[in-house]
Amino acid sequence: MRPADPGGALEAALRKRRVLVVCGSGGVGKTTISAALALRAARDGRRALVCTIDPARRLATRLGLGRLSGTPQRVELDAPGGAGELWAMTLDVKRTFDELVIRHAGSPEAARRILDNALYREVSAALAGSHEYMAMEKLLELHGDERFDLVVLDTPPTRHALDFLEAPDRMLSFLDTSVLRFFLKPYLAAGRLTLRAASRTGAALLRLADRVLGLELLRDLSEFFLAFDGMYEGFKDRAGRVFELLRSGRSGFVVVTSPTRQALQEATFLRRQLAERDMPCVAVVVNRVLGRLPAARGGSGRVEVPPALRSRLVAIFRDHNALAAVEERGIRGLEVDCDCTALRVPELDDDASDLPELVAVAGALLSGRDATSRRRLP
Amino acid sequence: MIFERLLGHRLVIVTGKGGVGKSTVGLSLALAAREAGKRVLFAEVDSPLEAVRLLDVGPVGPTETEVRPGLHALNLEPARAMEEYVRRSLKLEMLARRVLDSPIYQRFFAAAPGLKELTVLGKVMEIEERRGRRGRAYDLIVLDAPATGHGLSLLKVPLAAASAIRVGPIGGQARRLLELLRDTRRTALVVVSTPEEMAVVEALELRDLAGAEIGIRVEAMVMNACHERRLTKRQEAELARLEADRPSGRLEPGVPVRAAVAAARRHLARVARSHGYASRLRRESRVPVIALPFVHRAPLDEPALRELATRLARQ
Repeated sequence: MRPADPGGALEAALRKRRVLVVCGSGGVGKTTISAALALRAARDGRRALVCTIDPARRLATRLGLGRLSGTPQRVELDAPGGAGELWAMTLDVKRTFDELVIRHAGSPEAARRILDNALYREVSAALAGSHEYMAMEKLLELHGDERFDLVVLDTPPTRHALDFLEAPDRMLSFLDTSVLRFFLKPYLAAGRLTLRAASRTGAALLRLADRVLGLELLRDLSEFFLAFDGMYEGFKDRAGRVFELLRSGRSGFVVVTSPTRQALQEATFLRRQLAERDMPCVAVVVNRVLGRLPAARGGSGRVEVPPALRSRLVAIFRDHNALAAVEERGIRGLEVDCDCTALRVPELDDDASDLPELVAVAGALLSGRDATSRRRLP
Repeated sequence: MIFERLLGHRLVIVTGKGGVGKSTVGLSLALAAREAGKRVLFAEVDSPLEAVRLLDVGPVGPTETEVRPGLHALNLEPARAMEEYVRRSLKLEMLARRVLDSPIYQRFFAAAPGLKELTVLGKVMEIEERRGRRGRAYDLIVLDAPATGHGLSLLKVPLAAASAIRVGPIGGQARRLLELLRDTRRTALVVVSTPEEMAVVEALELRDLAGAEIGIRVEAMVMNACHERRLTKRQEAELARLEADRPSGRLEPGVPVRAAVAAARRHLARVARSHGYASRLRRESRVPVIALPFVHRAPLDEPALRELATRLARQ
């Protein structure tokens, strides 16, 4: 069903929901949209936190903070508004993972064993999947934090936009020691790797493991998984709670895309996947829309212009509108495929570079369909 | 001649923030290298929408396919590369199949962080080292690195693996990969950016991180989608006079003068921004920057790619 007022749906979500997850493929402006949404909620009187993946420090500068850290920092709002608050932080993957381990380890020694493990040190922060997993983990923690009414979560850029939903599952199945215990048992039991196993496949797997991974890695691995033993249930429980939260009426997803073909395709795919998982999507935002220039407005007389300039101006105008038309066709296709009305945010002169520009982005977002007609022209 | 210098390498890795046009740049570079007489392989990684479709060829998938004389393409699939690795390691097909089908393989090998990246890069290395009867299979491999997280995550894996896994075949493979990535004679890293604040900042950070964390030097940067001036200085002055007159009417049917002036102003603002960011990138990166023009055709087609290739070859 298409809401009559898509901007209104987002506005309602900003007023009532507790969690907004901003997702989409890389380079579409998720961080800017996230910050704009949190800012808007704060100006409307809520205590809003934006948790971002901002490798470029840009958002921090924009918000008047030196550098975002892994703990929420209050942002000064100089603009008039309600009694709201704006907070900002960035996701510290390594630290979040460490905290998770410390929380679930049976004892400080058990936690130390993991934190000191060579594999853990490399795996926890550097590698694919942990980023997304920790974003979800942090979300649960922030949702329980009483300082905030609304948490806006900027998701990591992913190859396939859905990765952030699937990565926790993948990480968990990696950490599922029940599978690995079988795999590593011969080694764990004997204190050395024995290639005897019950089945031929089992033996082949061990041989493969030896050939591919090597004995030392196998020992690190078994230490790693032994240390995690008993924590898996706690991890899994929390992952389950995040998914429950994301499916509930307390949360909403905002899908962000740019008007390029590839990004639009990703957005369509993402929107569908969200629907399949019963995750509520409150808005589809197309960022940096060029917008057609009116071909009919203005007087009808012919203007006298030097011929060379005339042909240049005509060409520039035509190229602009041709590109805008391609974009608009793509956006319409997205709307049909997703059965929704997309919110269009016009391309601003530069990236939103300060608070007023973020306000402008939020304004364009929430004014609904005609956002592009109010675009700023140089 | 930065283009010539790139051609002197055997592996060019194209990376950058998502949405900056890495694949377009990579493919144009591959086309340009082919024009220069090289046998080229253009390799994408797990791409849902292959860039080579722009050359009007169907999905090439994980097998090396000649898409133009002298230009091969492939879309590396991590799962497939991993299976090949298992098959090579086990040699016995029946056993390999059983292992691949077993839930432990599915859950462990498929989920182990970094193992996929290692096998993908391993495959690239294998192609790089391959020798046929007439010598090397390719003169140049252009690798379009995926934009997961930081453009570096794929390249970080060998180092992470090499330091976490001190001995054993995987550790050994990781070290050989690291050697390949750090070998400035064989490998060149190219970072792509667009004239936008975020893209530029990230490109600069990428260069720093590549050096500091992995020990790879960035050979060149590409400022993609630069808007090039379409009005002469004189025409710009005429435009200002025209604006001062607050004209109304049309330049020709369907082209209102005010809208056309607005489009021109916007164009000039973008030109200025393109110049500004390109010189900032040059200044701050201290590596050669190749500027490529914004292409007005959407979707991109082969003539547009060839034009980009020609521009590349001139730099």
